[in-house]
Amino acid sequence: MMGSDLLLLLPLLLPAAGGLCVSLIRLPDSARKNLVTAVLALEAGVAALLLFRPDASLFLFSFSAEIPVFLSADSVSRLYLAFISLVFLLVGISSFEYIAHEGNGSRFYPFYLLTLFALAGLSLSGSIVTFYMFYEAMTLLSLPLVTHSQTKEAVAAGIKYLLYSVVGASLALCGIFFLSRYAQSLSFAPGGVLDAAKTAGNEGVLLPVLFVMIIGFSVKAGMFPLHGWLPTAHPVAPAPASAVLSGVITKAGVLGIIRVIYYLAGAEILRGTWVQTALIILSLITVFMGSAMAFQEPVLKKRLAYSTVSQVSYVLFGLFTLSAAGLSGALLHILFHSVIKNTLFMAAGAIILKTGLTRVPELGGIGRRMPLTMACFTLVSLGLIGIPPTGGFLSKWYLAQGALAMDSAWNWVGPSVLLLSAVLTAGYLLSIVIRGFFPGEEAAREALPPSEPGWAMRIPMLILAALCLLGGMFPGAILEATQSIAAAVVH
Amino acid sequence: MTILPALIILSPFAASPVSLLIGRKSEKARDAFFCAFLAAECVLAALAFAFAAQGRELAFTWAGFAGFGLSFRLDGFRALYTLIAAFMWLMTGIFSPRYFRRHHHRNRYAFFTLLTLGATVGVFLSDDLLGAFIFFEIMSFTSYTWVAQEETKEALRAAETYLAIALCGGMVTLMGLFLLYHRLGSLSFAALRAAGGAVPPQELYLPGALTAVGFAAKAGMFPLHVWLPKAHPVAPAPASALLSGVLTKVGVFGLAVIGCNLFRADAAWGRAVLLPGTVTMFLGALLAVFSVDLKRTLACSSMSQIGFILIGLGTRSLLGAHGALAVQGTVLHMVNHSLLKLCLFLSAGTVYMNLHRLSLNDIRGFGRNKPLLHFAFLSGAVGLAGFPLGNGYISKSLLHEGLLEYIALLREAGEAAGLYSAVEWIFIISGGMTFAYMLKLYIAIFWQKHPTRQREMDDLRKGYLSPMSALALSAAAVMPPLLGLFPDFFCTGIATMAQGFFGGVSPAHPVHYFSAENLSGAAKSLLIGAGIYLLFIRPCLTEKRDGARAYVDRWPRWLDLEQLVYRAAWLRRGLCAPVLFLCQFLSGLADSRPVKVRIPQAFAALSRLLSGLPDARPVRVWIPRCFGALARAADEAADHAALLLSLPLSGHGKSGPPPVGTRLTFRIGRALNAAARVLNRSGLRAKPLPEDYEFRLAVDRREARRAIGRIARSLSFGLLLLGLGLVVTCIYLLLQ
Repeated sequence: MMGSDLLLLLPLLLPAAGGLCVSLIRLPDSARKNLVTAVLALEAGVAALLLFRPDASLFLFSFSAEIPVFLSADSVSRLYLAFISLVFLLVGISSFEYIAHEGNGSRFYPFYLLTLFALAGLSLSGSIVTFYMFYEAMTLLSLPLVTHSQTKEAVAAGIKYLLYSVVGASLALCGIFFLSRYAQSLSFAPGGVLDAAKTAGNEGVLLPVLFVMIIGFSVKAGMFPLHGWLPTAHPVAPAPASAVLSGVITKAGVLGIIRVIYYLAGAEILRGTWVQTALIILSLITVFMGSAMAFQEPVLKKRLAYSTVSQVSYVLFGLFTLSAAGLSGALLHILFHSVIKNTLFMAAGAIILKTGLTRVPELGGIGRRMPLTMACFTLVSLGLIGIPPTGGFLSKWYLAQGALAMDSAWNWVGPSVLLLSAVLTAGYLLSIVIRGFFPGEEAAREALPPSEPGWAMRIPMLILAALCLLGGMFPGAILEATQSIAAAVVH
Repeated sequence: MTILPALIILSPFAASPVSLLIGRKSEKARDAFFCAFLAAECVLAALAFAFAAQGRELAFTWAGFAGFGLSFRLDGFRALYTLIAAFMWLMTGIFSPRYFRRHHHRNRYAFFTLLTLGATVGVFLSDDLLGAFIFFEIMSFTSYTWVAQEETKEALRAAETYLAIALCGGMVTLMGLFLLYHRLGSLSFAALRAAGGAVPPQELYLPGALTAVGFAAKAGMFPLHVWLPKAHPVAPAPASALLSGVLTKVGVFGLAVIGCNLFRADAAWGRAVLLPGTVTMFLGALLAVFSVDLKRTLACSSMSQIGFILIGLGTRSLLGAHGALAVQGTVLHMVNHSLLKLCLFLSAGTVYMNLHRLSLNDIRGFGRNKPLLHFAFLSGAVGLAGFPLGNGYISKSLLHEGLLEYIALLREAGEAAGLYSAVEWIFIISGGMTFAYMLKLYIAIFWQKHPTRQREMDDLRKGYLSPMSALALSAAAVMPPLLGLFPDFFCTGIATMAQGFFGGVSPAHPVHYFSAENLSGAAKSLLIGAGIYLLFIRPCLTEKRDGARAYVDRWPRWLDLEQLVYRAAWLRRGLCAPVLFLCQFLSGLADSRPVKVRIPQAFAALSRLLSGLPDARPVRVWIPRCFGALARAADEAADHAALLLSLPLSGHGKSGPPPVGTRLTFRIGRALNAAARVLNRSGLRAKPLPEDYEFRLAVDRREARRAIGRIARSLSFGLLLLGLGLVVTCIYLLLQ
């Protein structure tokens, strides 16, 4: 069953080699820029190539006969790899101007590429042990991105990030130990690998273990009560780092949960149990709490961080419904939230870079100064609220249908909370847009200097904003992919 | 031909960025493009209308759009409203360049106006509730820019209210759509129609009502109307005309889709639309009567007229299969109101672009000696007030007849119709109030003189309109009288064409619009209106100031639903603040002091405890002691065992009566006592000796006796055992 498709090694080797090159060889800025762009573009190309190939796997080595470490490209892996490498490419391109301003590019880009290496490995992991290895690697490799500015706050935030991540990962590891007793193997397989003969009668142990494991992975995904690292780490990290933290790294936690629920345990064993109920309640609390916190947060990047807390829990809620529609909505929301949040952080980065403004009340009239940036910001804001025909509407629709498909008299609560949170989302994003474009008569008379960033920053934003809109309007292929994944793992 | 609906909807979306780009180069070219495009759109819509007027239908499906596919259908009502929308956009478009002469952000206005047009016709042509919702939401957001266009404080505040209500309404509608889709599996109008008969209505009330909320908010139905009287006046006049004339109708369209498909003959639904509709109608008229601002009056009037339309929709669901007249009244009143408001808002725009004022006191006398404006305003006012030969008369009569029909039906069935008779009276009174507030406007603008600026106003006689805006105004002003003067051709035609959408059928006999009954209803209304004007408005709402009649705003400032409820401090402090506080608390939970400090502290304390455990006093002292005690116990175990064994023979142990000595012990004791006393008194001893040797000796004697006894008993016990042993041995030997 374990193949030897060496192509799978390429997405790992590329960024790893690129990262090492950039760190070991002292390159002038422009050469580094070209090298990083080339690596990212190649990575995206390889990911696109893999996207259209059938399932494959590659055995690496094994700790013991029962614990092989191997890569495998199933449909979820390929989807993840594709979106991660696309986002990294676009964020990478838009980051050059920002990092040039911030300084220390020779340290930022190695870790940026190595984080991509860990994420690629994470996406392609074939077993939970492989996954765990890359998961820890990702935490450690992305830490320098958080602490990049080396201020006291940044270091403190980095420590907090590390602490939360390690606690989460160790909870997950603890779960792996238990799970190995009840599973046929620790490799991912659609529908789960639990051995029915061993699990029978042991639900009392298994359910708490699964709960602990999911809570462990949910730390990265920013689920209440362990979401605290997000709003601390985002404002201090440089904007490109915040973008990938929010858009991609939180999704690594989500991938962990997808793997645990749908590829190890199987949805069946959790359906209707207290674990499902507890997780749904936690995710809904997070959805609402995140939005409400973002609503009252004056610092732009922190506001976006709270928004991520809320939105990633939309995804988790979809996963916890354990229904095909919910899972497919969750996968869609992973993609669209990533597209949207990266655009928002790029815009925030452009604002910080060009005007130095970080607080929302100072952003009156920003739309006049940066019309294109703020137009992208507006479009993706509407997407995040879930206004049709953007992608956010589509994912919300499936999430709600998934929730209503649950066999419970309370199934309407989930969609109601999602919509309530959407109203709050409008409150915290559109207020920026409105004050940006409609600052009022007095502001109109002041001449505000135009301050659009360079095209290298604008084009990625435009591409992502267009993806948010066009992905919602013509979702055929994406929808098919997510629905086929969902159909394979949920019965 | 089937591409026609798609072309009508999509071309504005395509044209809007073009207009934006052109506008960056040249404003003139942009205006030309804008008007030319709207004219083309109008031609397309007219084509579609001509097609539908022949009774043919066009269906167009765009599979895969947004994952669900969009489906459009061009039939009677939709073609009609597409044409009306395109016509109104064209007229306001032609009117705009002059109106916006001194305004900022014209490019933005043109861009969003085109987007809104696309979205609006998109709703009207949809054949699927989901598609309609998509366009509805686009429309809500793009039309926001109309309200905020002027960027004054009031405009921004009104726009905020508009957006908040549109957004919340939209979300509630979305919840309704979730539930409907979950229940029915499809949201096409055909599926809704099929469900209307097949699914028990109890299961549809909640989804249907939720879906209706967003549309009701857009229509301005009480209690979601609060945005309307604020948003319409602050928008630029061409946009107000569209907001009032078309966008509110989009809301009505949504309500009609639900009411006429899901709840075709559902009395409960009918009541649920009719009663708020009645409140909307009356409240709007009341606010309009009190208003002293031209555009605000027109906005409140819009609200009131939407109330009339809602009554029609409600009656349609109440009457079910008999609802032909209600349907015709509803359709016609929608059309009439759109055209009338176009006319009136363009007139208001004419006033505003010359004076930049809207308060009645400032614009008094502006209309004097301006025949075109006079004609346009009169055409709108006569229609709206319901004068016979005006178009409003026709539709209001039909709506009234629908109501009467339901009352008659109830009476026939022997049920109480008091509620509906009251509604009918409110209907007539509201009609009267319509006349009263239009009369108030008319007299103020066209008959009164401004006490100070009249000459200035008269000087504006020439050139108060550009040729293009004059064209737009006159084209708008011609429509209502046409409909009113030739009702049998226009009104009947329109009503017949459009009723299919509402599930209506042509009435059995042609409607006599000028029957005695209808005329008397109109006369009642007009009389009441004249009475209100003469007996209330003139004496109570005006006062003499500077020798002229000035208008006073007597509406209590605090009496504002928005301030009392939606933006109320009690709501903010009582509900929002605690919720936000709770979220803050939850969010900080993992980082809170107890968790961050106490839990590590507890762990540290535990570790300290564990690490100091081997050296702890209890361990160091008590464990050795324990072992010592155990060892001692083991050591003495044999003795204790022997003692235990002898216990049964040893009697009562130490207890017993006090010891009694013998004479000998007594004497020796006494001697010893004496000796001890001497020694104690001599001071030779540091520690005094005891002086109770008599007692002690007695005790010793008893102990000695007891010991002797015990030995004797033990010996005998041993002998006994020996004997027993011998016996056992003997038995063993014997048995052997």
